[in-house]
Amino acid sequence: MVLEQLIGNLIQGLVLGAVYGMATMGLSLIFGVLQIVNVGHGAFIMVGAFITYWLFTALGLNPIFAVPIAFVFGMALGLLFYYTAMKRLIKAPELASLLVTFSIGVLLQEIVKLIFGSEFRGYNWVVGKINLGITVLPMTKLYAAIGSVLIAVLLYLWFNKTRYGSAMRCVVEDSEGARVCGINVGGVYAMSFGLGIGLTVASGVLLTMFIPVGINPYMGGGYTLKAFVIAVLGGLASPYGAFFGGLVFGLIENGSYTLFALIPGVEPFALTRFFSFMILLAILLVRPTGLLKAK
Amino acid sequence: MKKAQKYAPILPVLMAYIALFVVGKGMTGMWQLVATLLFYCALGQAFNIFMGMTGYVDFGYVAFMGVGTYGMALTITRFADFQGFGVGIIIIGFFAALLFSTLLSLAVGAVALRLRGAYFAIATIGVNEGFRFLIEGARIWNGSEGLIFTAQLNQILGKQSASRLAVFWADVIVFGIAIFAACLTLAYMRSKIGYALTALREDEDAAKVMGINVTKYKIIAFVTSSCIAGLIGATSWALKTPYVFPPEVFEIHYTIEAIIIVLLGGAGTLLGPIVGGLIYGISKYYLSVILPGFQLLIFAPIIIVIIIMFPEGVVGVFRKKIKGTKLERYFM
Amino acid sequence: MTLLRLDSVTKRFGGLVAVNQVSLEIDHGQFVGIVGPNGSGKTTLFNVISGVFFPEQGHVFFESKDITRLPPYKRAPLGIGRTFQIPRPFASATVRENIAVGAMFGTLSHRVNVEESLEIADQTIERVGLQDHKDKVAGGLTPVEKKLMEIGRALAMKPKLLLMDEAMAGMHPNDIDDIVSLIKRIAKEEQIAIVAMVEHIMRAVVGMAEKVIVLHRGAKIVDAPTKEALENPKVVDVYLGRPTKES
Repeated sequence: MVLEQLIGNLIQGLVLGAVYGMATMGLSLIFGVLQIVNVGHGAFIMVGAFITYWLFTALGLNPIFAVPIAFVFGMALGLLFYYTAMKRLIKAPELASLLVTFSIGVLLQEIVKLIFGSEFRGYNWVVGKINLGITVLPMTKLYAAIGSVLIAVLLYLWFNKTRYGSAMRCVVEDSEGARVCGINVGGVYAMSFGLGIGLTVASGVLLTMFIPVGINPYMGGGYTLKAFVIAVLGGLASPYGAFFGGLVFGLIENGSYTLFALIPGVEPFALTRFFSFMILLAILLVRPTGLLKAK
Repeated sequence: MKKAQKYAPILPVLMAYIALFVVGKGMTGMWQLVATLLFYCALGQAFNIFMGMTGYVDFGYVAFMGVGTYGMALTITRFADFQGFGVGIIIIGFFAALLFSTLLSLAVGAVALRLRGAYFAIATIGVNEGFRFLIEGARIWNGSEGLIFTAQLNQILGKQSASRLAVFWADVIVFGIAIFAACLTLAYMRSKIGYALTALREDEDAAKVMGINVTKYKIIAFVTSSCIAGLIGATSWALKTPYVFPPEVFEIHYTIEAIIIVLLGGAGTLLGPIVGGLIYGISKYYLSVILPGFQLLIFAPIIIVIIIMFPEGVVGVFRKKIKGTKLERYFM
Repeated sequence: MTLLRLDSVTKRFGGLVAVNQVSLEIDHGQFVGIVGPNGSGKTTLFNVISGVFFPEQGHVFFESKDITRLPPYKRAPLGIGRTFQIPRPFASATVRENIAVGAMFGTLSHRVNVEESLEIADQTIERVGLQDHKDKVAGGLTPVEKKLMEIGRALAMKPKLLLMDEAMAGMHPNDIDDIVSLIKRIAKEEQIAIVAMVEHIMRAVVGMAEKVIVLHRGAKIVDAPTKEALENPKVVDVYLGRPTKES
């Protein structure tokens, strides 16, 4: 019985982790190519969440369709921010890009608050559950997980099979060398930023499939922290590392929540968030380049 | 450098603060606004000591204000029953606030300050969240229910004094803190600490090779900045509104405001936080009348513009203009 | 007692051996040139001496003290100074303040305060000839001025050993001559040992060094007085086939 519970827990953790991982890939991609830490990461996830919400409640559109729409919207947003702001910060001190990405996050928050107000929103997409015997999984969560894995695979193909993807990999390795090889480094930067943001906004859709409530302009902050823990876990510059880091984190978060829920007199939700922060600090202390070998 | 020259830059600072005080007391109904402006200036001065002088961003800064608030709050609740201590308890409260913020900043600093820019920023994003959720999660200090200590404060000081404290004396204390922070900033700037911080801000690796123990100086700036934040929290929050709830005192909003104030005025300058605090405070005040709730929406793109186009802020630009003139030595 | 002694120092980066069992000795006041093509390990060697890296094997001794694992900021007060190929000024500070930093945290760090450091900076500025620029913000200087300031800052540390990284790269021959004679003069006056890293500008080497150490692929292949070293066939070998640079 206990073993069943454990495996059930494992599955739940992995499903959650896949979505978390996918949500972090954009962050790692941007850092890998541009050496910029997107501190406003969570705000873009929030944007994706609101896109899903709006498409569902206003247009009756299935969240699965929201994914590509959110992705395209995200890419456009990313390119916009790249050309207006980020482009000038490539050579600037770190402080500058940290503060600008942070401010972009705040800006997005406020704009969304302006449009939708700050109440908590949610939507109800009923597609039933799947009973795996040891545990029960709502179909929405399953879709979210499958979607995440799919996107991760697509990204892998992009990097390894397409010319542009390879160009990106070259720039990560050595931007000067890439320039000498004739690669339009500026274009790669723009593309990478756009792609990274696109991925992040799309992940917001998948996250709402997982948790279709609590959508509000300020929801990003918590996700930013989680994304950083995952990114650092998997090696800040590697999108694949991020995905696997996500899986690990999903397992840890799910596991610790269950554990904390067993302790009387504490609030498990809050403690889990505290715990993830402790993990972050621990990794930063021990191995800031990540526990997994970056690819 | 003669003594006079060395301390000349403090003059405009003192003049600004005294002018504020006079306006606040002299003109009817202005005290509230002036008090708010003082809060922002003090916050800016404190935050400037770290972010301005080291070039590192602490996204979890508000945690130190929060912890200072708890220090005062806990002192008031625990000592309220000791008859005859009166104001002494408030003073103990300040020491508690200092103690708490020192401890937290040493703990965070020891871990985070070994890390470079971006990693440090990431670590600090979590401090805020982490500490708040520790309090809520482990139900420390009454967890998410927070502390309400209006009754105890009244008990200690008497109802009249307590309310006088809230609307006047607490702000005077903030005034004192702001001036103290400014003097400390100048003292640092004129000492080896200031030179070391400038060096490590500009080029950390070159600074190390020059013999600068960068971690030590980062910690000095960090702990100083955080302690002052703790004092501000203890005064502006605990003494003015005698209750403390974790979601409120760990609200990232205040960190954002501190960042805006320092950048706007001029990071790393002495006068920057005052200018920034005044501009931000006054703008926010008027915005709250015309367009309530919009100030972040307006200021967020302003920060972006400042960073990209005027990274040295108002005072920085001003200093460039007066370079080579006699004014230069008064405006740091 | 020698000033600096390296004992079989090896530094690896993953599979690459950047410095391969290098041993050498530098005496007080000695002027040594370290020569070798790109990738021969010169910069890594300097980084090991100044403490940026710790070697996997071997030891570094400074005045008989084992400093192999001492952090870089502790080596400066002992007397190890360094300049970089591309000058690294503290851009927002003035020339005077930059050089004063050297004095504040170098060998005199426990004995001077800010005022005294600024005085030392003034003296140093006179010696390197930057009087006209002393209150200028360092970020706005020309490359030559930055180079002079870089040297001044290191000199203000009152070092016993000065590591000059790729000292003359990219400079006009006239400027090189000027700086070389400046360095030689100051080194003699203050009894500073100078280890200058030079890639292939022989003019500087011949003008400056008493002895030359040649590195190739991380290993030391020659360690001899200048004239001897430059006539050594191994050295000629190492430089064969390289495109001739200016002068």
